[in-house]
Amino acid sequence: MKIKSMAETLEITGISASPGVGVGRVHLAADITADALALGETLAAESDKLRRAVATAIAELETLADRSDEESTGILDFQIEMLLDPALVEMAEDRIVAGDSAALAWFGALDDYIAGIEEAPDEQLRARAIDIVDIRNRVLSALTGRPLEDFAPGSVFVGKDLEPSIFLAHDWTSGGGIVLFEGSVSSHVAMLARSRSVPMLVATGRFAVPAGVRLLVDANGGRAVIAPEDADVREAKSKTPATKPSAARREGGVIETADGVAIRLSAIINDPLELKAVDPASFAGIGLMRTEFLVTSPADVVDEERHYFIYRHALEWAGDAPVIVRMLDLGGDKTLPGLGARRSESFMGLRGIRLLLARPELARAQARALLRAAVHGDLGVLLPMVTVPDELDAMRTFFEEERADLSGSGVEARMPEIGMMVEVPAAALMLERFSRSAFFSFGTNDLAQYLMAAARDDHSVAPLYNAATSAVLRVIAQGMALAETMNKPIGVCGEMASDPRHIPALMAAGLRHFSVTPNRAADIRSTIGALCSDGRTVAERK
Amino acid sequence: MMDNRPRRAAPEAVDTHGYCQAEIEVTHGFGLHARPSVTFTRLAKSFPCTIEIEVNDSHVWLNGKSIVKIMGARIRRGSILKIRARGLRAAEAIHALKALVERDFDEDKKHG
Repeated sequence: MKIKSMAETLEITGISASPGVGVGRVHLAADITADALALGETLAAESDKLRRAVATAIAELETLADRSDEESTGILDFQIEMLLDPALVEMAEDRIVAGDSAALAWFGALDDYIAGIEEAPDEQLRARAIDIVDIRNRVLSALTGRPLEDFAPGSVFVGKDLEPSIFLAHDWTSGGGIVLFEGSVSSHVAMLARSRSVPMLVATGRFAVPAGVRLLVDANGGRAVIAPEDADVREAKSKTPATKPSAARREGGVIETADGVAIRLSAIINDPLELKAVDPASFAGIGLMRTEFLVTSPADVVDEERHYFIYRHALEWAGDAPVIVRMLDLGGDKTLPGLGARRSESFMGLRGIRLLLARPELARAQARALLRAAVHGDLGVLLPMVTVPDELDAMRTFFEEERADLSGSGVEARMPEIGMMVEVPAAALMLERFSRSAFFSFGTNDLAQYLMAAARDDHSVAPLYNAATSAVLRVIAQGMALAETMNKPIGVCGEMASDPRHIPALMAAGLRHFSVTPNRAADIRSTIGALCSDGRTVAERK
Repeated sequence: MMDNRPRRAAPEAVDTHGYCQAEIEVTHGFGLHARPSVTFTRLAKSFPCTIEIEVNDSHVWLNGKSIVKIMGARIRRGSILKIRARGLRAAEAIHALKALVERDFDEDKKHG
């Protein structure tokens, strides 16, 4: 949570999930807990009560769906289908048998299920947890007679999250807005808020505000102001939206080939400052974020807060799309004074993951920042220069140990998916041995220099390095064949993937995910769009 | 149109236990939840046979007519689904469900 005091007003920052500016009195969401749920009667009576409550909830949702538009009906249909499925009631009945009342059993069973959804690795699915909370509360209300949340028209809803059916039952024509401590730009409520132009902020972190106080929701500026002056409201309303909502459709990130196959195009980011100039809607997230830029001195390398802040910013930029961060790839041509012995300056020496494992303090600081950042989006971690599976396992152990340490200190952390660069020929040739890698990314630059035994910074062997293409392509094609049985996502980054001349061969090898620097994206996008998925043009296939 | 999927789905076949089975990769961007899972389970429930799914070779077969189980399986883009059916109209069910996954759950025909 970031709160800064501006004269006598308080400003809260968050992520815009639906643009616009609104102002209204604060309605504070009530926290629903398992306390004070009645004790049960007989087994059969409790079971029967639960079934009646579920039937009541379904009837209410059907009534609500009848007077809603098509988009809202789709969202409510999902809830109705969940309630029609006997599996939920059966989960609760197990608890009734164990002695719980219907209300307590329902609450407990649904909370367990919700917790499973909240732990899902992808943001899209996590954003559905609130739909299940919605079902839980509606049935609970039918069981206990406690009314569902309602608030006066024109209010600003403030709470951890907002259930879709509460949004739909509310009259938004009088204005107001939504400010959520958690929430998600991918949630159903965010979709609904966008289509009804209700300003909405998410991920503000918990903050204290008295109910009934005036709150300005400036979703264009990603902020809310407690007890604003009229001038603040006028100023916010006079500004046009600066950015589009981060959940905007990403047509640019998925390119359709001439024969209708989807190819993903992700961004390569070398410096976090580049993000300002790049439209997230043009890419399917970040396929490779280098982290060497982060470090200009040995002290920077272990600056966990700085790393965390930058990764979190990248995840916010990407919205619901994945961000893949490559761990420090020092050594070789990227050295730091005082970091890594002189011998590591060799491309064949202590570089990439070798250096990280030899200097655990570097790896652990970065791992901690990544574990903490992973809470904020779909984060993947790429390990550079992996040669044997043991290196992958050793780094995973670092992550697991740091995760345990963070949770022990009460710091929120999530295990990111850990994948590897395929840039050492031995790894490419033995790819099936790396079954514990969550995904693969071919790095063509290093693969080329190692296959040709020609350092890419040595001009005297430049012609050899430039002649690497066919050898690299053969190794990639073999690697793709090995990876096929492993069901792992596999992509490519490097100069070859950014060169339109090589795209046909890479597509023919079966690659469907390309990471390119933003200035090459337009070229690559038009190249892919003109080809069939096997890399040939339509004319060549006839 | 030729099959351009990175992994070819196995053709439907009846095994020794009387199951009709197919394997398919989920290509829809959001995976299989909320609206796609409604579409999938409604279609599954329209068949009289038993329908089960397995995700990424987990060896756990879930009731393909249960949206609660399917949501709980956290199926994402790139997940490999095995679908099997046994009983009346099993082959037809497998064919229809596989086609639905291949059509990305008809999501492009819907708004939002």
